[in-house]
Amino acid sequence: MSDRWPLAARLAPVGLLALLALVTLAPTGGPLRLASGDSAAATAWTEALDALPEDPTVLVGFDPDVGTYAEVRATARAAIADLLHRDARVVLVSLTVEGRALLVAELARLARLEANPTRLLDLGYLPGAEAALVSLTRGPAVPVDAEGELARRLASEGMSSVDALLVVGGNDLGPRSWVEQVRPRVPALPLLALAPTVLLPELQPYLESGQLTALLGTPRDGAAYRASVDLGPLERMRELSEPPVAAVFVGIVAAIVALGQAWARRLAARLRETGRDGADGS
Amino acid sequence: MNGFFGTEAADLAATWIAALLTLVVLGGLLGERRLFGWSQHLLAGLITGFLALLAVDEVIVPRLVRPLLDGGIARGELWLGLALVAVTAAAPWVPRVVAAVPISIAIGSLAAFALGGAIIGTVLPQLAAAVAVDRAAPVETLAGVAAAGISGLVLLGFLHGVPRGRPVQVAAAAGRWLLVAGMGGWLGYLLVSRLLLLLDRIGFLLGDWLGIGR
Repeated sequence: MSDRWPLAARLAPVGLLALLALVTLAPTGGPLRLASGDSAAATAWTEALDALPEDPTVLVGFDPDVGTYAEVRATARAAIADLLHRDARVVLVSLTVEGRALLVAELARLARLEANPTRLLDLGYLPGAEAALVSLTRGPAVPVDAEGELARRLASEGMSSVDALLVVGGNDLGPRSWVEQVRPRVPALPLLALAPTVLLPELQPYLESGQLTALLGTPRDGAAYRASVDLGPLERMRELSEPPVAAVFVGIVAAIVALGQAWARRLAARLRETGRDGADGS
Repeated sequence: MNGFFGTEAADLAATWIAALLTLVVLGGLLGERRLFGWSQHLLAGLITGFLALLAVDEVIVPRLVRPLLDGGIARGELWLGLALVAVTAAAPWVPRVVAAVPISIAIGSLAAFALGGAIIGTVLPQLAAAVAVDRAAPVETLAGVAAAGISGLVLLGFLHGVPRGRPVQVAAAAGRWLLVAGMGGWLGYLLVSRLLLLLDRIGFLLGDWLGIGR
């Protein structure tokens, strides 16, 4: 048993990966869908966008991190496609290196999918962390080689031409930084945030206090939004893959088993120690 | 499908490289540490290279060199900034008092923005939100009272080394347990995030790379 155990422990991750792959490939449908849950957050998000004026200009802070982007990617793509479908002018800026790398990839994807270039403006990478966020509120720096009506308007009118703020967040300079640095300086602008689950505990209070207008902060909220949004002719911009709920369930069960195993091992060691102490005492 | 790659030969090569690197990272689960470590170095190198590219292409040239060439002597703020950068670079050879100036400005301004923002954007509004007020629905009022109570207990949990009575000790212990419970909840969220990342990689290997289940 003791010889076999290390081998089994070593092969367990492979078994888990194989199991997750099998469950990922299994057909899903019916009620076992992430989007079947509570859709209140998705509704609040859509209502916030509905409340914007005609042809709004939305400043998108695109700073997800590589470690969590997989979780928000489909929702971020749907959100940008939704804005374009609403004839919004989308101004994108990144304040982190990872965010910039991902934004470059997303802009390439949008170009491949023939998104309307006159409705998109890339402000590029803005260095300076919090100071850069503050500088944004005084007027986003439009690149000198940027052309088009959107660039001219943003350069001349600054933040007064922006109707809403949308932050695709990660671990660094995410929605919390926007709430702290940008919102107090432009309090009239609605601030929408899209963030991975791990940021939910720090962002939920901002939503409750009204500092965030809308938040998509869990896979369920994102899936509910994606299921509800109508992209019309821009449907091609939607990411079709959805996280398989059954695989998520299997993964969570595996994590609980691993946790229980570690706890049981520790308990057994403690019991052994207690028994040894008792034997020594007698 | 992650949709990052198209259908051209370069995209196909990128998919293969990404798939092989994903396998290398997953190989770390089997104890293959050498290739895993190499992939970490590769990632760090790529990020450093990308940062250098960004710095030159999107910061130094368009925001410093080009304005200086266009505006010349009139751009005093840029010359001042350039001088501060030069002083930072020459820190080992200039007097400490001079070298401390740009670093002090950088650290001071960063701290001022972060601290000011935290107070205006988080501490004050969240303190206001934590005050329990009578709301329309009794459940909301109760939730507000509970939130205020938990906030108070957790704050008490940070009391250390101060002489205090039994009730405060009990409240502080309860606050610490609530803090631990909160951290447990946060770890749960972290687990979901990482699990989704793993499933995304599995989906990438199966769908984008092997073409299974497309």
